[in-house]
Amino acid sequence: MYEHLISSYIVGFIVLNVLLGLMAYMTWFERKVLARFQDRLGPTRTGPFGLLQPLADGVKLLSKEDIVPANADRLIFLVAPLVSFVLAPLGAAVIPFGRSITLFGYNVNLYVTDINIAVLYILALGSMGVYGIILGGYASGNRYSLLGALRSAAQVVSYEVVLGLSLVGVFILSGSLSLLQIVNEQSQSLSFGGLQVPNWYILSQPLAFALFLVAAVAETNRSPFDLPEAETELIGGFHTEYSGFRFSFFFLAEYINMIVVSLLASTLFLGGIDGPIADGVWWLVIKALIFLFFYVWLRATLPRFRYDQLMGLAWKVLMPLVFLNIALTGLIRLFGIGAI
Amino acid sequence: MSAQVLVFDILSVIAVLAALGVVLARNPVHSAVSLALTFVNLAAIYVILRAEFLAVVQIIVYTGAILVLVLFVIMLVHQEDLPEFHGGQPLQRIFGFLVGLALLGEVAAAILTRTAVGQSGPWTPQQVAAAGGNVQAVGQVLYSGYVLPIQATAIVLLVATIGALVLARPDAAILPGVIQRQVLTISLGHPRGDGEEEGYEVPMLPSGTTTKEEAGERELVMVKTGDEFTDQPAWGDRKR
Repeated sequence: MYEHLISSYIVGFIVLNVLLGLMAYMTWFERKVLARFQDRLGPTRTGPFGLLQPLADGVKLLSKEDIVPANADRLIFLVAPLVSFVLAPLGAAVIPFGRSITLFGYNVNLYVTDINIAVLYILALGSMGVYGIILGGYASGNRYSLLGALRSAAQVVSYEVVLGLSLVGVFILSGSLSLLQIVNEQSQSLSFGGLQVPNWYILSQPLAFALFLVAAVAETNRSPFDLPEAETELIGGFHTEYSGFRFSFFFLAEYINMIVVSLLASTLFLGGIDGPIADGVWWLVIKALIFLFFYVWLRATLPRFRYDQLMGLAWKVLMPLVFLNIALTGLIRLFGIGAI
Repeated sequence: MSAQVLVFDILSVIAVLAALGVVLARNPVHSAVSLALTFVNLAAIYVILRAEFLAVVQIIVYTGAILVLVLFVIMLVHQEDLPEFHGGQPLQRIFGFLVGLALLGEVAAAILTRTAVGQSGPWTPQQVAAAGGNVQAVGQVLYSGYVLPIQATAIVLLVATIGALVLARPDAAILPGVIQRQVLTISLGHPRGDGEEEGYEVPMLPSGTTTKEEAGERELVMVKTGDEFTDQPAWGDRKR
């Protein structure tokens, strides 16, 4: 009983620290890839290939003055970045990084916890995470910050619905909300004649996958949906008044969110730890890297949406498609195709 | 078991304190944030009670709804009034106090007249586990015994959605044939724009449109700096 608890804590500790390290190198990865897209070199001076750049950035941000504007709602202003930052890595707690292994005679699960509501839990974290942005924008006492916060609220409220509903098809097929069970379902292989195909949900739920991807980019406030921090219109947006490490909390929360969403997308649609030769966490890492690259690719390629286009896309295009997907999946399941 | 009780005690104390914050905070945004804190603590208490599904729904539905509450506060209350906002007339306050007292009495009566333990429902932990977990158990109950209420709720929500759509529709879509209202802007710097010349006409106006002068909207103010336009200073304390 307690062995399980202790091993969970140890795995959780490792996952948290690896995630915090990865988040720093995600900034490096983004700068490098973005530079290549723009025919530049990116950071090169700090260490080999600029690998020490995240450290330099961190030192710079930590040594900056922590300014609280005179007009600010002080308590909320100080707490808001923490809300964003603390909630961001919690989603990784339900991602399965492997099944169970035996280590020194103990049975160790390679995930922090396998709860029955894992996917809903991540959605709930997403709906809490936006509080950091809204409260930060409100508490700054600055009109531009407030506008950024309002945009963010409208955006998240709209795309959250799409995000949640796009997963319903996956739930219908897998019959479970537990990520471990969803991964197990996907690791069964289907055979069409002589062709062996993995039961990855990207193949049976391509529409849901596309919708999830769009909604996930919007949920993490990344380009082209980065209206809350549109520097050309809002002088930065919700974090205009933040400086130093409080700003870096917002900044890093965004990168952790990207990583967690990439892990979630790989787990839900690409089979997670399931792979052609040997199952393991490396497949999950490779798949997540593909998504992270995709994020940077989008940022390098697409211009920002206009505000009305953003809302129109969510409610007039994505929403009907999501309902169509649910209806189709339900009908197919009802008539016994793809039944477990 | 004792650890569970300890965690419950901590959570419930925070929840009650945050609930007090909801009614005592002067700033409505602080009230809303306190309410969110209360709901999160309630969700944690649900997790202790092994109602994980209820906990997550509590966060997604209620805490998400508070977000909208915060937005209403920000948009409907003047920004200058926010830090010290006292809502309501004296009569409203007395009425609210009385209603609150009545509700408190009802809750107290409900708690005192029946014990919380001893009357367990039909679903034991074993039955929930047999159903495949919390979500499956809730789903089975909702879609077997409560199908009719669920469908009634769905119809009510559908009607509300349609109502919102009708309200949000532009007039021209409801009354076909009416020319859709368009806002045309004419540049004042345009060589033909001052209307002084002989035989001048405003260019390219479709029939049935009105110009701003006829509608009589607002006068043109010419100022050198923003301070002349508004009595609010650009820097320093705001005038109330």
